[in-house]
Parts: sequence; structure tokens; C-alpha cells
Amino acid sequence: MIGIVAANHYLQPIESDASLPSLEADLRELCREPFRRIDRFIQLALLGSARCIAGQTLRPECGIYLGSGLGPIGNNIVTQQQLIRDREIPKPFNFINTLGSSAGFYVAKNLGLSGQNLFISRRRASMEAVLNLALADLLRGVVEQALVGLVEEVALPLAVHRQRQDLPATQVLAEGSHWLLLQSGQQTARQLRLHRFDELSTLENFLFGSWMQGDCLCCASGMERSAEQRLQRQFPGCIVSAWDCAFHDSLDAAWLTEFAIGDRPGQLFVVNGNSMRGWVLFQLGA
Amino acid sequence: MAGAYIRGVGLSCALGENPEQCASAMQKMQVGPIDLQLDDFHEPLRMPYYRIPDDADLFEGSRFERILPPVARMAVERAGLSAAEICRLPLFIGSSCFSIGLSESHYAAALSAHPDTAMPMPLCGGYQLIAAIIQQALGIDGDVYTYNTACTASANAMLGALRMLKLGWYQHALVIGAELANRTTLAGFSGLQIVAQRLQPFDAARAGIVLGEGIGAVVLSAYVGSDSDLRIIGGASNCDTWGVTTANPDGNSVAAVLNQALADAHIRSDQVYGIKAHGTATPMGDTAEAIGIRRIFSKTPPVTVIKPYIGHTLGACSVNELVLFAGALERGFIPATPGFETPDAALDLNPATTHGAAPDGCYLLNHFGFGGNNVVLVLEKNAS
Repeated sequence: MIGIVAANHYLQPIESDASLPSLEADLRELCREPFRRIDRFIQLALLGSARCIAGQTLRPECGIYLGSGLGPIGNNIVTQQQLIRDREIPKPFNFINTLGSSAGFYVAKNLGLSGQNLFISRRRASMEAVLNLALADLLRGVVEQALVGLVEEVALPLAVHRQRQDLPATQVLAEGSHWLLLQSGQQTARQLRLHRFDELSTLENFLFGSWMQGDCLCCASGMERSAEQRLQRQFPGCIVSAWDCAFHDSLDAAWLTEFAIGDRPGQLFVVNGNSMRGWVLFQLGA
Repeated sequence: MAGAYIRGVGLSCALGENPEQCASAMQKMQVGPIDLQLDDFHEPLRMPYYRIPDDADLFEGSRFERILPPVARMAVERAGLSAAEICRLPLFIGSSCFSIGLSESHYAAALSAHPDTAMPMPLCGGYQLIAAIIQQALGIDGDVYTYNTACTASANAMLGALRMLKLGWYQHALVIGAELANRTTLAGFSGLQIVAQRLQPFDAARAGIVLGEGIGAVVLSAYVGSDSDLRIIGGASNCDTWGVTTANPDGNSVAAVLNQALADAHIRSDQVYGIKAHGTATPMGDTAEAIGIRRIFSKTPPVTVIKPYIGHTLGACSVNELVLFAGALERGFIPATPGFETPDAALDLNPATTHGAAPDGCYLLNHFGFGGNNVVLVLEKNAS
């Protein structure tokens, strides 16, 4: 049994090229100490994780499982411009922050954690990858608590950021930092279960057997589109699509976190996969 | 399941283009970094570098597509998996560079052609480039886990694969460590002023790292293959928040992760026959590692460092060094550590200067990285 002890997030559509919203006032309030030489990706990670664990007691050995599709893209752009355009050696903190593990380092430092600290990526499915790893460690008893976060940053200008990701010119973009605190053997209001299916029909049968009034199904943004359309026919009016709102690469994490925070009845199912590698279903319910 | 068997390996690094060639070169103690000069910057850079001995330009964009598939294919073919097993093989990838070299080339070309509109940091596959190349070349369509935890990336990938195999979620896993030359890494480490002219792990005169490139592949399996007698039986990972670029030199976090790894493998410290140290040869890094090791062992077992043979291959170092170390164990020796000459009394840790015997038993594989990441794996020889 894996319980969701806490959940919270930051999700902000970015619709103007003027500037990105400042996070510094929130960070001053939430962080134990002011961190210097951190970039926006680290700021987003600090903000989301601190909101999530507010009021909770963490074990020092709690694992951090941070996922992202694009990683610290703003800092990577600055570093590459220093290097290629300006023909300069990158500044040390810019270079160090190109590594995804820097964000997890600052989250651990802020929360006083010394356990496993991972940075994982899987394009359009980073949530699935980090949750798989966190659940594996919780189930094996490697950790008793897992702090799971998905962080995505926007780099201005927006048109270039869309171009970089091959997104349509009309796609609204968002920044996000979505976090769950999971604990093994913990009876909580929300439980998280992982199911794997080789065949889509088997997954559908499972859903029919588990479905209750008020349940909701989310198709992850990396999911095979024909399968999503098939599920839409099977569960009309019950499906939310990651493409319908402001987008970032780990948007399925926004659905999961939002549902975990709220007190709405019913279950949330998040499905991902394709017909070759099979199907993964996260069931968030009572 | 008590561990994960090493069922197939592949490697391309400064020592050669397959595991046997590399192990043979290591046995002969062939050490040969090139003298690399980069004139791309206002202040030219010059450093030793362990490059893969292909004929291509070091920064040529297609090197990943050319070097990576044969290494992965070598490991998969040696593992003797069926077509169906290969199709669903999960990939666990550890790297520090991913598509950054390709991205640099594209941006430089765009700047040259259209300086006002060139898009910096084109993704060029981003973190997924390595997986995409392997999937396309080998017809693999399994789950992908891409780790970016600096120099521990492929060690964490190995640990993740081991844990999922133990849970029975997968029967086999392909673990990749991949690091190829790129300007960001070379200039970035140069800017940190920790690049030395010579690699001298744990030596009193050690002055820093020497970088290298290499691509390694390991197929781990939940059950024994045809002639596999090596398996990963445990491991642990923790985070030291003392500093973003080095573990606390008091050795506490290193000792902690060593203890956790021993516990995970259900062995005692006196059952460890040897240690493949991380041994970056930075003053602080080697201090933390040496003191951490001495806290665990009343009598330190034989210690070796692989980096003087192939350079520090960063996020790929765990898989690359495992393949080399495994090759040495199979040939019956623990490799000597070239570059170690003068013991540092403060460390009291002396890697062997000649090859030693490699009996059956347990060996520790240490890895430490930026971001406070510490990972130790436990390897058992003659597991079958």
C-alpha cells in the first residue's frame, strides 16, 4: 500500500514575452535559507517541493525522484550562448547547473534530506518514469518515503520555445512544479497504485471493473493517439486530455497532483503507453 | 532473486572498440591520452583527453549514431536474448552529455548562416537522443529511464535496473553509459579549474581530473546466462548536501553509502576482496573517498582506479569502468593504478601499482558526482 501523504504544485500558464513571473518572494517565505547562484529550474523545484511538504515531517533518508522532459533549459541556453556565440568559457555556476542533479541537490539541502536523489527524464512521460522508480523503491523497502517531483521551465521568447519543442504556434505554454510525498504502508485518504497491461483491451476491462461514478481518466501526453481516441469512445465525457490546456512536457503530473490535492470524490486514472511496449495505469483513489 | 547477472557487455573507449581489446590493453597498462587543443574560444584551451580512436573529427555530429549502436548491439547479441525479449528490453541510460554536442554543432551552424535568428539550445533529441538511437538501431521498444545525475548517472541507472529486476518487473535490462566529447563539458570543467595534466588518483601530487569519452553497454538479467559468472548483488545511493561539487571531506556520507550498499547486498565488510574506487584525483574528492573507505574497513582491501586507462567518462563512467573491471576479473587480475606513485599520508589509501590477483568474492564499485550524489554497487565474482 502506497499512500499519498501530501501533494502540492505550481502551475502557471505563460502567455506574454515580457518576463517570467518572479518566484523570489515565494522562495524567501518557503526556503530555510537564501540560495545563491541558482537558476529558474532550481527555483521551480524548490518552490513546488516546499509547498508540498509544508507541515509534514520528513525522514532524512526520504528519497527525491525529480523528473523533467526538458530540464534546466533556460540555464542551458545561457551556457550555450556563452560558449558558442560569445566564445567564452561558461561561468562555473552556469556549467554546474546544466546538470539536472543540481536541482535535486538544492531541494535536499532545503529539506534536510540525505537519501537517494535522482533526476530522470522520459520525453512526454517523465512522470511515469519517476513514479515507476519511486514505487519500485517503496515496494522493495529501499525507502519508506519518496518525494516525487516533475518540473518544467519555459524559456522566453515563447515562439522559440514552441519551435524548440516542435509545438504548434497556437499552443499555450506553462511552467510547472508538481510534487507528491509518497509513503509505504501508510493509510491515507489517497492511495496510489500501479498497473501494467500488455493489451489495451485488458486495460479497458480493468477500467470497466473498477469504474465508479465520478471517476476521471487522463491520457498522458505521450500516449498513442489512436488508443486515446478508443478510450474516449469507451468512456465518453470522462476523459481529460493533456493537450486541452496550457502545455508543458510533464503535464500529466499536473492532473495527478491537482487531483491528489483536492477533496473531490472518485478516482483518477492516468494511462500511458503504446501497443508495442504495453500500457501503464496509475490509479489514484481512496 | 539475489542479484542481476551480467549477461552481455559492449564497450568503446580510449583503449579500443570492444571489451576484449580494452581488457587486453589494460592488462598491458596502455595509457594514452591525446593532447587536445581547442581554439574555439577567446582563450584557447589545451588539455590531455582520452578519446575513442576513431578517425572522425572529435566534435562531428554523427559520432553518436556511428559509435553507439554497435556497442549496444554487442552487449545484446552476447546476452543471447530472443527477438521478443529484445523488442521489450527496457533501457536504463546514464549520461552527462546526451545531445549537447549535436546541439552545439547545430547552433554554431545556425549562427553562421543566420546570426540574428539562430535558436540557441536546439534539442536535437535532448535527453532522449541516446534512447532513440538505440531503439531505432536494435528494434527495441521497451520502457526508457534516462538518468542525469552527473558522474553517478550510469551507476544510478544500474541500480535502478537491479531493483526492477529484483521486483520481477523486468527479466532483462540494457544499461547504457554514454559520454562523447563536447565543448560544454571540456570548457565547463576547464572553467572549474579542476583539470590536470596527468591523472594521479590518491597520489600526494594529485591535481585533478583528466576527461575522456566512452560508450559502454551491459545487459543485466534476472537469471544466469550461458557463461556469466558475475552479478550485481546490491547497491545504494545517497545525497551529501555539503557542497554541490564534492562530498564532505570528513567522509561521513561516503561511509554511509558504503554501509548501505553492504547491507543491501547482505555482506560484511570483511567479505569484500577489492574496491574499484571512483578516484577522480581531485584533492577534495579523493580525500572524502579515502576517509570514507577507511571508516568502514579496519584493513583496507586492494584498491584500484580505472580512470587512468580511459579518463573520467563522467556520467558513463560506471558502466564503462564496470565492463573494464569485469573483464579484468574474468582474466584473473585486479588492475594496477597507473599514475599513483607517492602515497598521501593524510589519505592512507594506496592503490596497487602492479596488477594483483582477483579471487572469487565480492567487490565494491564506488561512484561520486556533482549534486552530492554517492552510489556504491556490489559485484560478486563466480556468482554461479
